Amino acid sequence: MPVSGIVSRPTYEALAIDPAGRRHLFVADHAFEPDPGVFAALPSEAPVELWRALAEARVGSGAGPRANALARDFRSTTQLLDALAYRLERERVGLRLYAVGLESFVWDVARLARGLGMDSSEYRLSHVGSNRRRVYCVHCRAITENVATNVVACSGCGANLFVRDHFSRRLAAFMGFQIDAEAPGEVPPIEEAFP
Amino acid sequence: MSGADHLPLRVRETEMISPLLKRFVFEAADGGELPPAGAGAHLRLTLEGEGRRWKNAYSIVSAPADRSHLSIIVRRVSPSRGGSAFLHEAVHPGAVVAAHEPGNLFPMSHIARKHLMVSGGIGLTPFLSYLEAIEATGADFELRHFCRDEEIPIFERILSGFDAGRITIHPASAPFDLSQALASQPLGTHLYTCGPEALMGLVLAAARDHGWPASKLHSESFGGAHAGGLPFTAILKKSGLKVAVRDDQTLLEAIEEAGLEPDCLCRGGACGVCLTSVLEGEPDHRDHFLEGAESASNRSIMICVSRAKTQNIVLDL
Ligand code: FES
Repeated sequence: MPVSGIVSRPTYEALAIDPAGRRHLFVADHAFEPDPGVFAALPSEAPVELWRALAEARVGSGAGPRANALARDFRSTTQLLDALAYRLERERVGLRLYAVGLESFVWDVARLARGLGMDSSEYRLSHVGSNRRRVYCVHCRAITENVATNVVACSGCGANLFVRDHFSRRLAAFMGFQIDAEAPGEVPPIEEAFP
Repeated sequence: MSGADHLPLRVRETEMISPLLKRFVFEAADGGELPPAGAGAHLRLTLEGEGRRWKNAYSIVSAPADRSHLSIIVRRVSPSRGGSAFLHEAVHPGAVVAAHEPGNLFPMSHIARKHLMVSGGIGLTPFLSYLEAIEATGADFELRHFCRDEEIPIFERILSGFDAGRITIHPASAPFDLSQALASQPLGTHLYTCGPEALMGLVLAAARDHGWPASKLHSESFGGAHAGGLPFTAILKKSGLKVAVRDDQTLLEAIEEAGLEPDCLCRGGACGVCLTSVLEGEPDHRDHFLEGAESASNRSIMICVSRAKTQNIVLDL
């Protein structure tokens, strides 16, 4: 188990519920509909909630993944993460949290959960959707979102960043290093690397 | 880990807290500073009685930051031939006792946002040092202590210096129910339990039932709790010794009495240091270290707490 803050690309397992939990909260950055089979291991009375950030607000659309599940929709992941922080501050031991979505989103959730006292045995991350990366510029520390290419112009300093496979769990981002520092303008062919 | 007891301690004072509980305050025999001991640490004393020697571990109850002295509380347990009885009767202020550097197998979590402690009887002792540490940092906590009804006033007195609003003393005669406490802890709470095996078993099972992950559960069983059982004989193959293990001593104590110094640390079946190969015979496992399959194979034994089911057991020592 690596212990440094920067580890190589994380791996994810298929979404599975932890029946040891007393309450279960799913958070997703898209219109996620869990497969009903996911809940097979749970007693029917175990509380389940599903929170989703949807592109266009359909707040209150409310059809849960199963009869007693509570669904709550948000206008954006920012709003969802805000509500999640408020909720976790008031939560009690026994909760299990499941984050489903882009890597940047699930690690934002993990960072929030850790900050509020949960550890990795209490949350599970499931990466679905595109492989686009959130890139952290090691030079100016700006974040560039939704990066699909191996080289990207930093949103902060404009440097041509090469997107490494090194992922920081603390920043929920991949590291980007200036590729043409020695010979400005000398950039390798830009390819779509993270569809 | 060396088995050397290089730390001579002088008894500065003793205090009878109750007919069964005695507090010992030690200082370095050379008058200097004592080695650091974090909250939850224990002190291992080598006690030389007449024709007998014990190595008993006691939780340190004094404030971890204070290097001028170390205190322990010793419960006098039957049989009266034990090391604790020896401490009660024969170790007086001024006496010098050999000790090992404090060890810690029950440290507090550094990332916990709250500490929930559940103790039974003398199992309160490690939490006294926790409470001292908590007082210094202002961390959030809750303490649930279980004891025999008639001992409630004694434990109230021991705990009187700490925030009474966060301490509950439960009489052992009342039904065991921690549901409310276990269901209402904020995320980031760590649970620690120390006391009789039966109590710790109930606490840990109830916590798991309330969805607590293993990573937030901590327990410590103390040495002496394991002593006792039927006598048997240990045959030490490498040393060519035949050691009779009496009913009132542990296998490790008997081996030490025979002059050997096998590696050990916690003496409570938790750390794994004393693991020894079994060549013949069937162990009576009493440790918390061996995994199910390892334990069932009967090829290893934790000699600090486990005994033998067979009349003879042959060890690779
Ligand atoms: S000395 Fe620690 S398990 Fe035996």
